[in-house]
Amino acid sequence: MKRIIIADDSATARMFIKRCLQIIGLGDAEFVEVEDGKQALEAAKEQPADLLLTDLNMPVMDGQTLVKWVKASPKLCDMPVVVITSAGNPAKEAQLLELGAHRVINKPVSPPVMMDALADFLD
Amino acid sequence: MIEHNPFHPAMIEAVKQTLENMVFMEILEERGAPTDIPPEDLVWSSLLINDPIQGEIRLAVPATLLKKITSNVFGIDEEEVTTSQAYDILNELLNTIAGLFVTKLLPETQQYHIGLPSLEAGPLPEIDEHTVVWHLINSEDEPLKIQAAGASLVALSKDNNG
Repeated sequence: MKRIIIADDSATARMFIKRCLQIIGLGDAEFVEVEDGKQALEAAKEQPADLLLTDLNMPVMDGQTLVKWVKASPKLCDMPVVVITSAGNPAKEAQLLELGAHRVINKPVSPPVMMDALADFLD
Repeated sequence: MIEHNPFHPAMIEAVKQTLENMVFMEILEERGAPTDIPPEDLVWSSLLINDPIQGEIRLAVPATLLKKITSNVFGIDEEEVTTSQAYDILNELLNTIAGLFVTKLLPETQQYHIGLPSLEAGPLPEIDEHTVVWHLINSEDEPLKIQAAGASLVALSKDNNG
């Protein structure tokens, strides 16, 4: 069973993301929902995940800082991180990809967008 | 000078894209005299745009409509909707709308920073010369209001009225 961490301070956003993942065939995954980057990092350290989906704008620790921490950790650096943001544009996307994000998705999320972003993960 | 998309349609597009995708709600611009939201039914949320322009985006809806949206999204009866669920949805809608709006306004190479949405109490602030208002309705004629406020943000509407 795949373990997927979803980090977003909005319960609504986490629900939408989870719903999209279920629709594209990841319904049997173990979803770990957290509210900020720090909690995501703690959850990943406690038990590595197969995938981390994170919002960009969050309190405590934002998504960009989370990507940096994950990629700097020898234990976690191989975990793919997908950033889901309402504040994205090509310049921000390039910056996040350079930091090591696997993909960057703009809100509002939809199953086709999620499917495209996670195509290699689903394979 | 910043090259950007027309201000007014950028917001309409952002609201439509968000509401249609997230809550399957068709949104139209209200024609004629705008429908007021009674103060006792008003719920609104606010979000700051911090950089490279400064401004505030506000989303106001009737509490009755917000309850209906929340009920649809969570797949529960309206009586089961909690205020926490409803406010979370309002904030997430505003967060998404604001992000899309600013993305549409600014050039692709321009990074920007927006704040976190927060629920506000009381009446909406008075409209001044640095505030633009969009009066919108859904297919059942229920009103939604969006305001963009702040001199540097609203100046973009004067550069290009679209």
